[in-house]
Amino acid sequence: MLVFLSVVQLLYVLLLSPLVFGILSKIEERIESKKGPSIFQPYYDLYKLFRKEIIVPNHSSPIFHRAPYVSFAMYSLLTLVLPIITAFPLQFGPTVDFIGGGLIFGAAALVKKLAALDSRSNYSHLGLSRAASMGALAEPITVLIFIMLGVISGTNNPYVINNVLQSSSKWYLSLTHWFVAGAFFMVLVVELGRLPIERHSTAELGMIDQGMSMEYSGMDLAFEKWGGYVKKFLLMSVFLNVYTMPFFVPMKLDLSSVFVYSGVHFLKLLGLVIGIALFEESISKFRLFKNFDYLAFAFSLAFLSFLAFYTTVGRV
Amino acid sequence: MRETFALVGFFEILMVLFMQWEIYTKKIITTFSISSYIIALFLFYLGIVQNSPYVIALSLISAFVRGFFIPWYMKRRIVRDHWREREIKPVISTAMSIVISLLIVVFAYVLYRITFYNSIHLVEGSIPMALLLQGAFLIISRRNAFIQLIGYMTMENALFLFEGYLFPGLPFIVEAGIVLDLIGIIAIAGVVVRMMKNSSVEMNESDELRG
Repeated sequence: MLVFLSVVQLLYVLLLSPLVFGILSKIEERIESKKGPSIFQPYYDLYKLFRKEIIVPNHSSPIFHRAPYVSFAMYSLLTLVLPIITAFPLQFGPTVDFIGGGLIFGAAALVKKLAALDSRSNYSHLGLSRAASMGALAEPITVLIFIMLGVISGTNNPYVINNVLQSSSKWYLSLTHWFVAGAFFMVLVVELGRLPIERHSTAELGMIDQGMSMEYSGMDLAFEKWGGYVKKFLLMSVFLNVYTMPFFVPMKLDLSSVFVYSGVHFLKLLGLVIGIALFEESISKFRLFKNFDYLAFAFSLAFLSFLAFYTTVGRV
Repeated sequence: MRETFALVGFFEILMVLFMQWEIYTKKIITTFSISSYIIALFLFYLGIVQNSPYVIALSLISAFVRGFFIPWYMKRRIVRDHWREREIKPVISTAMSIVISLLIVVFAYVLYRITFYNSIHLVEGSIPMALLLQGAFLIISRRNAFIQLIGYMTMENALFLFEGYLFPGLPFIVEAGIVLDLIGIIAIAGVVVRMMKNSSVEMNESDELRG
């Protein structure tokens, strides 16, 4: 049964992740009074890219060609170990905790960075150096957030954290939890590559993630893009299921409640997508060096959760 | 009540960190106004719980003077001094100043634990102390006179929070005196700002491009 649900979860994430970002684009365009592309546009794009010829830069090594597949595999593995449609561990759930998951995320990002370095393109190098300098500051914040969740739940297991927050209103309403959730939202915006950190177009010099994949084409680019959708889908799901809305996630093995929750989870994601669209439409892009101020504020939120813990709960 | 105080206190700390992040003077003034309203609301709640008309009166005066009048007056002044609408060259870089402000909160917590805590025995008392030091740092880290003034009033807000919660029996006249004192400070600050404007250097195009 657990293996079956693992496969369901994997398919759920792989198939629905492009749709979420199609809906996000559509909502943003509608807010700007434009018609916008179809919500299925990411699927059309992927379909087109799968049929296109692959062109690889002359001087690149095999790393460049293989990186999208490796990172896609890593994100697929993460799909099997994170609480997406269940709050009980699936077949591979016990293999890693939050730190382990963070390491796999980090490894996938490293592979992508190596590939960008290998492409020998100036634009990719530009994006890479920016992503690396942002990541070097964003990762410690993420670790701080995980540590704080560990303090709340006594473990680093995302399933246990979900269970604790779902069943304890004291922890759910605590300042410590909400500071952590706020910090994670700020890091989420960085990881999603949304405004005010990054504009999602390749037509400007402020690009970060888009720059790194500039030399890709054909099926390589399709997997690169699809992997990106899966990564973002996973982060958004973790934000909802573990940090802000841990409710309704089935805590016991029951097939019907898991299927019902799959729909509920998609509705939660739609709510988050609408929130992100409104946030993006009401804010303008920061200049690149201002991104570090943003990260400093995110760090402050994560650190304040420590102080809130010692001031209100821990009373050391 | 302790939870409410901690909630308000941490929200205030967050507001000061936001002020430290922000470079546009108007936004900083608006943030200060919101934080003042929240403190006034907390004092009002405290007054009702403790059945103290003095604290209620203080909250109303605080809401009017700090929440409405001073921010309104400062925004009016800024319209006349366009070049002061944002901090062009902070003394310390923004990201660094946010981190320092955060470290000040930690320092205040430690300082409080080894000093006042021995006689007050309320761990939340470190929050107003942190706000007080953060306000002082806001003054140090910025060159803009308006923002420095906001830093000063943040320190005053911290004092309000401190005495309102921990020493509710403090004579009303002292507290009201501080509020009235602020109006005088604002009037003096207006003169100082005008003098600074007359002696200020001209902005050039490259200054405009600074963060």
